[in-house]
Amino acid sequence: MALLRVIPRKATPSVFMQQVARLHNIERDKIGNREVVGWGINGMYSYVDHIAFPMPAIRFKENSPEIMALKEREKGDWKKLSVEDKKALYRASFCQTYSEMRAPDGRWKSITGWVLFGISCSFWIYIWEKLFVYPPMPDTITNIEKRQAQLKRMIDIRVDPIDGLSSKWDYENNRWKK
Amino acid sequence: MSTLAALNFQNAASPLMEQLIFFHDHSMTILILIITIVGYNLISTYTNTNIDQHMLESQPLELFWTIVPSFILVFIGLPSIRLLYLLDEVYQPSITIKTIGHQWYWSYEYSDFLNLEFDSYMIPSNESENLNFRLLDVDNRTVIPFNTQVRTLISAADVLHSWTVPALGVKADAVPGRLNQV
Repeated sequence: MALLRVIPRKATPSVFMQQVARLHNIERDKIGNREVVGWGINGMYSYVDHIAFPMPAIRFKENSPEIMALKEREKGDWKKLSVEDKKALYRASFCQTYSEMRAPDGRWKSITGWVLFGISCSFWIYIWEKLFVYPPMPDTITNIEKRQAQLKRMIDIRVDPIDGLSSKWDYENNRWKK
Repeated sequence: MSTLAALNFQNAASPLMEQLIFFHDHSMTILILIITIVGYNLISTYTNTNIDQHMLESQPLELFWTIVPSFILVFIGLPSIRLLYLLDEVYQPSITIKTIGHQWYWSYEYSDFLNLEFDSYMIPSNESENLNFRLLDVDNRTVIPFNTQVRTLISAADVLHSWTVPALGVKADAVPGRLNQV
């Protein structure tokens, strides 16, 4: 395969075009008998199905005798082509139709499944931590008499009187506000 | 005091803390606005199929998203500067309290009128009564008069400590050999 050499002359536009032509000749070996029909995505001879690039650089199928015959008939009256002929002409140049490109592929189901699996794993780890790792809660939290004594003291010292705890206590009637 | 699982600030016990809470709310509003806009852009990149993939640059767009954040920053910065200088206003305090940090207790001196000195130790959990807040209560509490200007001189005797009252919006490092005034 011919490689690009460093050309020890001034790089004129024609020199650049020679290098481009050499690169394209390399690519022409890779695509077989398929016809080059345009610029495609980036000028390289590749076939890509993409909704943003309606016209790839090369046809999809190689030019076989049946397809060449169809193309000859395509030059005539299109009403004489059957639906199957038209479909065969399309599939000769393209792999997928736009509907097939945009069709839903159901990947969201497996993605959602794995995400939920990961979340549930973290829940199991949390349960294991509660059972085997954490020490018991202090009695200031578990003992209800202590909690009530602390709450009463918090109300007495007016903790958060503006929009917190003490703002919800009715001091005149000694009960929670309705 | 701090309650269990509290996420917000405590209610303000001084006007400066109230201004700090207001500024926090103001900045949070702007932040939520920005995050909503960015999040919408993110989601629409993923869900909207009418996206131009070949857009490499757009000078008007770049100008827009440079100028608009600068306006947003002005909206955040002006209240911030105002609050910054408000916090350093000088007052005439009515009382001076000296706070000295030790390992591991605070000692306070009220020497304006009577020479009052005391140590303030945390009540251990095994000695606490029913109404004591675990790890928060102390045996001798620091009493500060209400509705007055108070000057606190904070220092330390051994290592670095830090003295704070969240509801008043004050915090200062207690550095040995240095007096910090709040």
